[in-house]
Amino acid sequence: MAQARLDRRDQITGWAFIAPALILLGLFMIYPIVWSLWMSFQVGKGMNLSFGGFANIMRLTKDPVFLRALGNTFTFFIVQVPIMIVLALLFAVALNDSTLRFRGLFRTAIFLPCVTSLIAYSTVFKSMFATDGIINEALMAVHLIGAPIGWFSDPFWAKVAIILAITWRWTGYNMIFYLAALQNIDRSIYEAARIDGVPAWARFRYLTIPMLKPVILFTTVISTIGTLQLFDEVYNFTAGNGGPSDSTITLSLYIYNLTFKFMPSFGYSATVSWVIVVVVGILSFLQFLVARDRRRSA
Amino acid sequence: MSHLTLKAVRKSYGSVEVIKGIDLAIKAKEFVVFVGPSGCGKSTLLRMIAGLEHISGGDLEIGGKRMNDVDPSKRGIAMVFQSYALYPHMTVRENMGFALRFAGVAKEQIAKQVAEAARILALEPLLDRVPKELSGGQRQRVAIGRAIVRNPQVFLFDEPLSNLDAELRVHMRIEIARLHKELQTTMIYVTHDQVEAMTLADTIVVLRDGLVEQVGKPLELYDNPSNQFVAGFIGSPRMNFMAAKVVEAGSGTVTVALTKQGNVRITLPLTAAPAIGSDVTLGVRPEHFGLAAAGDADLAVNVDVAEHLGATSYLYANTGTGEQLIIEREELRNELGKESLTVSIRAANSYLFDNSGQRLR
Ligand SMILES: Nc1ncnc2c1ncn2[C@@H]1O[C@H](COP(=O)(O)OP(=O)(O)OP(=O)(O)O)[C@@H](O)[C@H]1O
Ligand SMILES: [Mg+2]
Repeated sequence: MAQARLDRRDQITGWAFIAPALILLGLFMIYPIVWSLWMSFQVGKGMNLSFGGFANIMRLTKDPVFLRALGNTFTFFIVQVPIMIVLALLFAVALNDSTLRFRGLFRTAIFLPCVTSLIAYSTVFKSMFATDGIINEALMAVHLIGAPIGWFSDPFWAKVAIILAITWRWTGYNMIFYLAALQNIDRSIYEAARIDGVPAWARFRYLTIPMLKPVILFTTVISTIGTLQLFDEVYNFTAGNGGPSDSTITLSLYIYNLTFKFMPSFGYSATVSWVIVVVVGILSFLQFLVARDRRRSA
Repeated sequence: MSHLTLKAVRKSYGSVEVIKGIDLAIKAKEFVVFVGPSGCGKSTLLRMIAGLEHISGGDLEIGGKRMNDVDPSKRGIAMVFQSYALYPHMTVRENMGFALRFAGVAKEQIAKQVAEAARILALEPLLDRVPKELSGGQRQRVAIGRAIVRNPQVFLFDEPLSNLDAELRVHMRIEIARLHKELQTTMIYVTHDQVEAMTLADTIVVLRDGLVEQVGKPLELYDNPSNQFVAGFIGSPRMNFMAAKVVEAGSGTVTVALTKQGNVRITLPLTAAPAIGSDVTLGVRPEHFGLAAAGDADLAVNVDVAEHLGATSYLYANTGTGEQLIIEREELRNELGKESLTVSIRAANSYLFDNSGQRLR
């Protein structure tokens, strides 16, 4: 009996300790999330709202800009995340080789982009990708292209520029996770494989990748979430309009425009926000499914 | 089943030389054990043979072919690591068969070789487990199995048993001895456990500071160490060393006085004649002390600590001069609490070393 009473008192003490954090979390996270769910069923402009049931969801299916934003976001996700993950893996493996000279320098150089200021880097990239910018000049100088590429006037190249920019910025961030994981792998595993005649590509494919699987899964999910929320780069490169002609508009940018740029349509923009949540949920679930240990589940 | 030859093999890391010129001939089918204190270069030497470390100087030949610059996988060797180095995400079966896939071995052949190795090592019931579901001893057996399936000419072991508890270590030691008998391959084994060295080896190589101190059969090293280092290193508990001075040198004998043991004198047979008055060291193994008056000289000692192991007893004794002696006596188990003791030493069981640690014979 005494033991049970003590337990309850311990519990109360425990809850008391985390109560301040819980209250703040509830107030600034849980309440807005629940409220936004409620909002997503409201229709109307500005403050003039009324309950609309599934009207917003119906509107989604007929909204060409939303469908455009959804398509663009998926394009960024499908193209950019795999490229970045593979690059980060390759960099990590290369930088983990103890015979490589200037490892620290390379490591820092590749990691640095993700701690630079967003505005600074997008401004620099914008000027680099300008029609008379350094990238066009360089490509023309080596005769790869005859005429300057309209990076921000051509729908295709605009997407390419944004993918290049976010890949530049986030590859090093993912690489650090892989490097940390690689450094925890017993070196003699690779030495044993070398002695046994396992070729380098097979050591990468059949040893490194399976051993890094949990980290790869983690970075993939994180990158998926990041890409689905892609906003800053597009906003800065296209002066906030996702141009040319909505070819780079993302879901997040559309939400922003719906809320703050056009006649505010809070209910509908909340609905679009929830689309991101649902898509992230589905994609993460799929990724966990794919990465699941097949032998164990069989 | 290849023989190995090392000729003036050297290894430097930058300006630090860790292997300082080693000559060694290892016969086919021989079980050779490298022993030596921590940091003496045992692992480095083994890794150079394996091809994991570049050889800075000298020649390495395996089966009569120079192997200095040959890829590790083409040297006909297999290595077992202290950390087991198993592939954590693969089953025991996959661990053993993995490398064979890249050697162009057919699937059925891989299965056959894995089954054969599993039989030899009694791993059959474990074939579908992953390493984390195995005990330390089982993991080490898998690591050995992974080496066996490749049919190597030479097995290399780097302290394979040092992560196991004492009981398992004895068990695995016997397993390895049995394996050597069954496979009849050359084996090179690194350890700093001298019981492993004494029991497994055909030949022991004692290393110190990147140099070979002595090469020989286990009992040869025990009975006839060529210097004070080997005398102290082989044998457990280690040999007692007592400071001594040459007081008389006759024809074929020399008499020394144990300067820190009350100038007790003992006469030993000796062909080399050290100068009278020179400092020497007398070595006596703990198990070679006898009952009082049963030897050639008697020592009176005070007992600090007595350890009774059942079969035998170790006495840690001193003579008040800072020289501590370890005395092993089987019959002393009944004489607990005895403070002082007289023991004898025999000339036949004593070793004499000169100032530089070389054996005087
Ligand atoms: N990569 C390295 N760089 C510089 N020095 C090294 C390197 N590897 C080993 N050494 C040095 O070489 C010497 C021999 O090391 P080695 O690992 O061969 O010792 P060991 O005899 O196996 O010791 P232990 O019994 O502790 O395993 C040591 O003094 C060590 O400090
Ligand atoms: Mg070692």
